[in-house]
Amino acid sequence: MPNTVTLAGRRYAFGLNLFPATVKYFAGWILAAVVLAAIVPLIVSQWRSVDISAWYIAANAGKYLIAIIIGGFVHTLLPIMVAQGLTRREFATAMGIFGLLWSLFTGVIAIAGFLGERAYFSAMDWTQAVGQDDPGIVLRSVGEALDFAKLYPLSYVLYGTAGALLGAAIYRSDSGWLAILPVVPVTLAVDDAMSHAGAWGPSWLVQFTSVVTDSWGDWGAAAAAVAAIVIGAWVARRIIIDSPIRSKQA
Amino acid sequence: MSFSVSLRDVTLKYGDTEALSDVTLTLEAGKIHGLLGRNGAGKTTLLSLLAAFRRPTSGEVLVDGRPVWENVDVVSQVALVREGGDFDDTDTVKSSIETGELRPSFDLEYALKLAERFEVPLDKKVNQLSRGKRSVLAAICGLAARAQLTMFDEVHLGMDAPTRDAFYKELLDEYMDRPHTVILSTHLIDEVANYLEGVVIVDKGRIMRHEDVEAFQGMGATLTGPADAVDAVAAGLEVLAEQRLGGTKSVTVAAALGAAERERASAAGVEIGPVGLQDLFIHLTTPRPSPHPHPEPEKAKPSQSKDDRTGA
Amino acid sequence: MNQYGSARAAVNHQGGEMFDDGTPIYRQIADQIKAEILNGSLEPGGKVMSTNQYASFFQINPATAQKAFRDLVDEGILYKQRGVGMFVADDARDRLAGDFRARFFDDVLKPLVREARQAGISLSDIIDYLKAQEGALK
Repeated sequence: MPNTVTLAGRRYAFGLNLFPATVKYFAGWILAAVVLAAIVPLIVSQWRSVDISAWYIAANAGKYLIAIIIGGFVHTLLPIMVAQGLTRREFATAMGIFGLLWSLFTGVIAIAGFLGERAYFSAMDWTQAVGQDDPGIVLRSVGEALDFAKLYPLSYVLYGTAGALLGAAIYRSDSGWLAILPVVPVTLAVDDAMSHAGAWGPSWLVQFTSVVTDSWGDWGAAAAAVAAIVIGAWVARRIIIDSPIRSKQA
Repeated sequence: MSFSVSLRDVTLKYGDTEALSDVTLTLEAGKIHGLLGRNGAGKTTLLSLLAAFRRPTSGEVLVDGRPVWENVDVVSQVALVREGGDFDDTDTVKSSIETGELRPSFDLEYALKLAERFEVPLDKKVNQLSRGKRSVLAAICGLAARAQLTMFDEVHLGMDAPTRDAFYKELLDEYMDRPHTVILSTHLIDEVANYLEGVVIVDKGRIMRHEDVEAFQGMGATLTGPADAVDAVAAGLEVLAEQRLGGTKSVTVAAALGAAERERASAAGVEIGPVGLQDLFIHLTTPRPSPHPHPEPEKAKPSQSKDDRTGA
Repeated sequence: MNQYGSARAAVNHQGGEMFDDGTPIYRQIADQIKAEILNGSLEPGGKVMSTNQYASFFQINPATAQKAFRDLVDEGILYKQRGVGMFVADDARDRLAGDFRARFFDDVLKPLVREARQAGISLSDIIDYLKAQEGALK
C-alpha cells in the first residue's frame, strides 16, 4: 500500500479519517441507546402509564459522553501524534475537524431519535414528556418534537468543545482540572439557554443565569452557543499548541 | 538531507529543578551518535527538546539549522522513540503501525516486514504485548519512519539480548542503506560502542564530554604496579580512580599515553591496560567523593580530581 | 558488575572476540588487513571488501571501517579505484614485510629480552634456543 499522505493535507486527512473510525467504534453504543430507549418504556408500560421520553435521557447523557470522548481523544492522542511527527497546530486542526463532524453527526441522530420516538409513542398512545421537572414539557406533534430537538447538534458541538478544552487543560497541567470551574457553568448556562426544558444535569448551577437567558429566545441562545464554541475552541487550541509532551514514568 | 542538531545555551527547568543547564552542543548530520548518561542525567530531556516534545526554558534548539518547535517540515522528519513507544494501548498493533503513515516518509511495507521478522503479532492489542515486544514495536515504528533524525531513548531496555542484537544490526543496515542522523541514548555503552561515531556524555544536566568514539577508546588507561612507580607515571595525569592492594597500586587515568610514556612505564615495571568505554563512563560519572559504608583503606579510594567540561 | 557485566558478556558473545578493549577498532581492522596481506590470504592486486560490507560483517560503524581504509591508502598498502573499489597494492606485501623487519628488534625482541631477564633467563639460553629453532625450521 503506497503512502499517499502529503504534508500539507495530512491534518485534514487525519481529522476526516478519525470520524468514520470513531463512528464504527461507537456504533454499538448508539445502537444500544436506540434499543434501550425503545425497550425500557415497553417494559415500564406493563406496570404503569409511560409519561416520560426515554430518548430525552439518552440524548442528554449523550452530551456528556460526547464531551468525554472528544476530551479523551485530545488527552490520549496528543502525545501519540506529536510522537508521529505532527505539530500541535496540525493536531488541533485535525481534532477540530473530527470534533465538529462527530458532534454534528451524533446531534443529527439525537434529532432523528426524538422524531422516531414521537411516532413510536403516538402509536403506543404514550406521553412523550421531556425535561427534569415533573411534569415536563409534553411533545404532542412531530413539529413540536422537531422544534424541541432542533438545537441538539449545536448543543453537542458545545459539549464537545468543552470536553476538548478540559482534555487539553488536564494534559497540559496537573492543575488543569481547575478549568472545570469556568467551563462547566458556562456550558450548562448556554445549553440551558438553548433548551426549552433547561440544561440536563446540575441545573441548580444555572438557575441564576436562566433568569436572563430565558428571554434570549432560540436564535439568541444559538448565537451565544456559537460564541461560546468559538471561544472555547480557540482556548483549547491555545492550550494544545503550548503543551509539552509529558515524560514517561519509567 | 540528513539533519544536523544544535543546541545553543539551552536550559530547561521543571519547576525549580534544572534538568539541563546552559547546554551548547552540535551534532553532525549523517552520523550515529551515542548519548550516554546515568539515569536522570538529562538524556531524555535533551532528546525531548530535539523532537519538539518540549520547549526549552531558555536558549535555542535547531534541527537542520531550523528552529524545531512547531516546525512541520522538520518534525515530520524527526522521530523520537521512547521506551515502550507512544501508542494508543487499546489499539491493535497493525493499526498502531499504520498510524505512522502520517509521515510522508513512512515505509509501511518495511514496518510490516520487520514486525514479521521480530514476531510482533499484528492482530493483538498493544496492551496485550509483553514489555519486550512493545519495545520492539516502538523500535520498528522508529526505523520505518525513515526520518532524517531518528532517536532511540533507551528503547532496548525491554528487549532481551538476542533481540537487542538483531535490532542494532537492523539499525546499522538501515543506516547504511539510507544515511541519516541517529542518536542512541543508553547507559549500556559497551553494547553500542562499535556502532557509534560520536559520543556525548551527559551528567547532571550538562555535557560532560563530546568526542569521536576513537578518542574515547584511547582516552583512558589503567596503570598497575609498585605504588611508587605508578604514582610517578600518573603524576600530572587526570586520575579517575585508584585502588591499592598491599604494595601494588592500580590507577585509572583519563589520558592517552604516548609511546615514550609507555616505554618509561614498562621500564619501571608498571603494566598499562586498556579502559573500556563502560568503565571510563562509570569513572567519569561516579559522584566523588563517594560515601563508603565500610571505610577500608585497601578498597577503591575516590580521587578528587575531576574536571567537568561544558560544551562540544 | 551486575548489568554491566552481562552487557559486556553479550558484546563479547556477538563478535567481540574480534576486537579487544584497548586499541581503537579502526587500527585493529587495519592491522588485521595487514596480517592478511602478510600471510597471503589477501593477494596483491586483490579486491578488498567494501566499507559497508566490512561494517556489516563486523557490526561496526562504517566510518570506523572507512578510517581503517583511509589509513591503509595513506600508507600505500591499499589503493582506490573510483567507482570500483579498494585493492591491495602490488608492493604491499614487500612493504609490510620491510616495515615488520624494521620494527622487529625494537617492538618484538626488546621487550622479550627484558622479560626474559626478569625471569632469570640468560641471553645465551635465548640464543641457543633460537639456533635450535632455526635447525628445526629447516
